Amino acid sequence: MSVGLKEPRAGKAALQNPDSRKPVTRKASAQGRQPGSSIDVQRKKLLVPFVGPAFVLYTVLFIVPALGAVWISLHKWAGSGPMKFVGLDNYGRIFRDPLFLSSFGNTLLLLFVVGAAIFILAFAMTLVLRDMAGKKVVRNVIFFPHLINALVFGVLAGFIFNPGGMVNSLLAPLGVTDPPKWLAQDNIFPLIMVTLVCTTTGYFTTILMAGVDRIPPYYYEDCALAGATAFQRLRYVILPLTWDVFGTCAVLWTISSVKIFEIVWVFGGSSGAGVPPTQSWTAAVYTYVNAFSGQSTPAYGAATASAVLSLALISVLVVLLRRAMRRDAVEF
Amino acid sequence: MSEYKLLAPVTARRRGRRGVSPALRGERSVVRGIGVGLLWLVVAISIAALVWMVAQAFRDTRAILDDPWGVPASLDFGNFVRAWTVGDFAVATWNSLLTTVVSSVLTVAIAAPCAYYLSRVDNKLTRSLSLYFILGLGIPAQVILIPLFVMLNKVYLTDSIIGLNLVYIGVSMPFTVFLLTAFFRSLPLEMEEAAALDGTTAFGTFWRITLPLAKGGILTAFILQVISHWNETLLALTLLQSTEKYTLPVALISFVQQQTYSGADWGGLFAGLVMVVLPMLVIYVWLGRRLTEGLTLGMGK
Repeated sequence: MSVGLKEPRAGKAALQNPDSRKPVTRKASAQGRQPGSSIDVQRKKLLVPFVGPAFVLYTVLFIVPALGAVWISLHKWAGSGPMKFVGLDNYGRIFRDPLFLSSFGNTLLLLFVVGAAIFILAFAMTLVLRDMAGKKVVRNVIFFPHLINALVFGVLAGFIFNPGGMVNSLLAPLGVTDPPKWLAQDNIFPLIMVTLVCTTTGYFTTILMAGVDRIPPYYYEDCALAGATAFQRLRYVILPLTWDVFGTCAVLWTISSVKIFEIVWVFGGSSGAGVPPTQSWTAAVYTYVNAFSGQSTPAYGAATASAVLSLALISVLVVLLRRAMRRDAVEF
Repeated sequence: MSEYKLLAPVTARRRGRRGVSPALRGERSVVRGIGVGLLWLVVAISIAALVWMVAQAFRDTRAILDDPWGVPASLDFGNFVRAWTVGDFAVATWNSLLTTVVSSVLTVAIAAPCAYYLSRVDNKLTRSLSLYFILGLGIPAQVILIPLFVMLNKVYLTDSIIGLNLVYIGVSMPFTVFLLTAFFRSLPLEMEEAAALDGTTAFGTFWRITLPLAKGGILTAFILQVISHWNETLLALTLLQSTEKYTLPVALISFVQQQTYSGADWGGLFAGLVMVVLPMLVIYVWLGRRLTEGLTLGMGK
């Protein structure tokens, strides 16, 4: 708390002239009534009542469980009874478990393949939207799916792709008499990927547009005067100036894609025995099923190990992304 | 750097002799035209899908299956009544509503003072605290799922609405604190300083000056929490076990699962979907602009 005397606002003069720093602060504290610093001193006393509740709730209900997950992942435990310390054994075990590998592989597919598709589409949409008439209407409509629980899309897909459902009835007049079995166990995951692209692109388009809209119009005017082609304008104006927004979006998608659970859980009403077919599992589903499905003895150790690995994946990717996206911020 | 790159098009002009339009308007190309067309198509399909879903909720299962493209012959609330009574959606809607409102109000009430402190006091401690809160943004829910279940089970808070509320508040802290800190930073300091000069206490300046100024940001944070708590599924599915505690998404899942045994009741299912989606639509139509702004602003950095 002693550093408090160097409060930047109280020491504004001090910043301009480093030599005068000491006298100024001493004078301030001697007078003690200077408003800036007195309110600051008072404010500091609010630390416990203001930050305390948020800090405690967050620590107890978020950070402690997160650390607890690491702890549990080092044990063999069925949820009740004794915990047996097994070190990194759980990690070794899940890496030999083909089910985990395919689940984790699916998560990676969502992260990279769906992510790439979303970004390309969202960027293309942003470019078209940038100066089209009625852009606000379009933006508002394509943003809305973000507010809908992914469960809804999963259930609807079951209706639309069902053997006597809408897709097949649309395909029939086109001469497709033998449509693919959309909801066969092997086809569900690709369908989930397509559904996610359709429902998520709008959200990222909205964010990218917020970045593109910030670019002042005189840059475009300059481009027009200089005779830049559309591609050159994209390459030399739009991309460099929205680079940081791209970075933000990439981080957001990394975090949210690893969490994907609901849509897989109900996709196509497939959860016959309460659990979706293993071909469409993601790492999150793997964690949930191993701990709570009630089908076998819960394996809390393996389940948390899978979750901790997802967290590790996020951390590594976020650090890499931040490093890769770090450019000189373009001031404008 | 940017200046150098901006010069590049100048050289391009010498080569390309095509008409350079001095104004920005009037650039038309086939690709662009197709793009605009496709976008409007997307918009039309989205709206049609939403309307279609609501319309199906008023038709009975047989009619839906016979002709999925049809429109309801009459305004028949039978599906809703059945979902409401048989599918336990009544209790679930009430639980969802209660949980969403209570946890969102408390989240904002607890996060706002914290964000205020972090935005106004700048020292080593607050900087590391801010970082500590941001950390939570990157932790996916499945990580804390099992330990949380074990912990709450010890204090008899699993299968309890109170426990679920607590969890939602804790889990929402990082985002809300982050968003509100950014918002409080954007508010001018002058009014607070003037109030302080007039002898208002530090708490007084927060309560009587900053909070009223921050009404917009706080409302945005609240609505964002309402949306995320209304839709939250994984934690609710894990923590709640008895039917009378289910929130709407959990009830929907259990309704879907029942159908694999009792035959598909698409009418009831569509009614359930509408119950999940419609409140969000109402909020969006009512406060949409604020929402998109809040979400995109909160994401900056």
